[in-house]
Amino acid sequence: MNARMFAARVALPVLAVIAVSSEGRAADFDWKKFQGKTVTFLVNNNPVAQALLAYKADFEKQTGMTLKVDGYQEQQMRQRLVTVMNAHSDEVDVFMTLPSREGEQFAATGWYADLSAMAKNDAAKEYDPAGLSQALLKAATFGGKLTSMPMNIEGPIFYYRTDIFKKCGLEPPKTIKDVEAAAAKIKACDSSVTPFVSRGLKPAVAYTFSNMLHNIGGSYIAGGKSNLCSVKGKEALDTYSRLLRDFGPPGVVNYSFQQISALYRGGRAAMSFESSNELRTVMDGGARLKDTALIPFPAGEAGQVPTVIGWGMAVSSHSKQPDAAWYFVQWATSPAVQKKMALQGIAPPRPSVANDPEYRKWIDEEPVRKEWQAALDVLATKGSSEVGYPIVANPESREFIGQAVQDLILKQKTVDQACADADKALDALIAQK
Amino acid sequence: MSDAAATLTQDRQRLELSALSAPAVIFTVAMIAFPVIYTVWLGFQSFSSTGKQSFVGLANYAKLVSDHEFWNGLWVTIALYVLSLALQLVLGVWLALVLFHAKRLPGIVRSLFISPFMMPPVVAGMMWIVILDPSLGAANYILQFLGLPPSEWLASPTWVIPTFALIDTWQWTPYVALIVLGGLQSLPPSVYEAAQIDGASAFKTFQRITLPLLLPTIVTAAILRSVDLLRFFDIIYITTQGGPGNASNTLNIYGFRVGFEFFNIGYASALMLTLTAIVFGAVLACNRLRGAVAW
Repeated sequence: MNARMFAARVALPVLAVIAVSSEGRAADFDWKKFQGKTVTFLVNNNPVAQALLAYKADFEKQTGMTLKVDGYQEQQMRQRLVTVMNAHSDEVDVFMTLPSREGEQFAATGWYADLSAMAKNDAAKEYDPAGLSQALLKAATFGGKLTSMPMNIEGPIFYYRTDIFKKCGLEPPKTIKDVEAAAAKIKACDSSVTPFVSRGLKPAVAYTFSNMLHNIGGSYIAGGKSNLCSVKGKEALDTYSRLLRDFGPPGVVNYSFQQISALYRGGRAAMSFESSNELRTVMDGGARLKDTALIPFPAGEAGQVPTVIGWGMAVSSHSKQPDAAWYFVQWATSPAVQKKMALQGIAPPRPSVANDPEYRKWIDEEPVRKEWQAALDVLATKGSSEVGYPIVANPESREFIGQAVQDLILKQKTVDQACADADKALDALIAQK
Repeated sequence: MSDAAATLTQDRQRLELSALSAPAVIFTVAMIAFPVIYTVWLGFQSFSSTGKQSFVGLANYAKLVSDHEFWNGLWVTIALYVLSLALQLVLGVWLALVLFHAKRLPGIVRSLFISPFMMPPVVAGMMWIVILDPSLGAANYILQFLGLPPSEWLASPTWVIPTFALIDTWQWTPYVALIVLGGLQSLPPSVYEAAQIDGASAFKTFQRITLPLLLPTIVTAAILRSVDLLRFFDIIYITTQGGPGNASNTLNIYGFRVGFEFFNIGYASALMLTLTAIVFGAVLACNRLRGAVAW
């Protein structure tokens, strides 16, 4: 059973049951039930967490609980989590997680508490768990257990400069082939800008490459084996690396979101394929507000299959107060809090918030925000959360995808060699139990 | 007081001192010993991707032999170590001689000379990312101004290790120079007076007197830098994360990723203990060399 089928047959009915059965209990719901308790939250210091923690005092006032924040940069947060969880420590009650990356692994290690039971037994009337993005809930469901609640929705989208396109006589790209043709034309038309930029840093490549692979019609696994050497897999590897090698900036193999956003914001790139979360950074200073258009990544032979992911909030299986921790998760992912976060530019994982009049007013203030939301709507409806291999060792699988792409950018291997080497290593990972 | 009574008092004082210092000694030994023993124990364990743990004896060490990434990491670590150490010792001695002879050098200039190694590695790393950016950085601008072709610096598999060696040399040469300067200031003036009377040239004086007498100090600097260089981590992690490809994937970076990104703590422990053994080996070799050149 694949992930989509699983969601349709298992996860969504589970949520429907949660939604119905929680109705009866909602009337008794008391936000002050755990007054006096302290909940520890392990945080990745990213814009999503920053937007949430701006309302920390509201949570403490509403519940009478104390929120202790333990904040780090993303990789350091995982380091801390590995240490805490391997020690079976109850130091952390709630932690941020990326289900698309570590979900399978953390679920297999038993680090997540099952939230479906908590949502069923103790949800406020206004919480509406079924109102959260079904794609993200599906991505956070492993073995029938709901492991985290989504905080935001994000994915790679395509930023391009309308002024440069106009100057070079180009139409907005509709297909991947159009992107490459536009890059070639821009290279000839305006040598002062980098025609195309996206991720080249090895561990970061999978995020954007997955969108390209899925649009082209490729898949990571077929018949239980790594599938990069399939016709579509090779086409995706070749196209992605060729775009970066022939039209990307020098040194693109070290490029992740920071370098990409800096280059685009500075007016040095004509097209950028980067996270929707980077909107605020890219628009910072206002220089790109009037000359940028945003769309989901153009279609390949399989149409548009954008990548959609989101940060989630999970309760630690070692927490000694999972019920109090769940109250914090519930508050943080409630429609009211997610609306406040949305007004700070954090794309909401709830369609009801995305359609809220106050949020729509904020969106309508700038054309670029409208396009951003339209792209996110496509991500929410058509998106796949498969970033790298859907296996327990997903983080390690991203290394081999990145390695194959870098080998091609640097012309160190042919496509056949790069995909064969990657498939060999990835088959060994897939075989690991 | 009789001798017996005095001995008794001394014994009691010794006992009291031991009892008073025991908690501090036990705490310090435990703080050093526990992580080492725990890491050794972890090195005998295997952790599956799902976190299941099992005793595997020396299997993690046996795996090192056939692990291509380990050998690549070892090669990268040694290449970076040799290149950086050689540059830092040569330039450090030269800088120390300049500082020693330039009696009128203003204090501010002396302070500037030694400022790089006071900079936190993260700040240095971020600064070099900006300077060495192939598109926007000042380094390529200077090369082009001089009529030289631009370089991809940290993005080139060929140049990434020499570039890291240059960055580390920029940061730590002043530290080596300070150590050597201390050695220079302690050399006996009588030897130089004798050489002057014998009519020795400046080069001969340096070659036959200064350098041999400075060797123990230079070896001490080499020991201190060896420990740091073999564990080189911060700037690589900030800039390339071991790339491009695996061109800067030192043992330290590789071990970190195996442990904290791929969650294979057992194998990562084996990697780190191997690296520790290499560091110990290098320090022991330098210590022997110091014994041989002592005067």
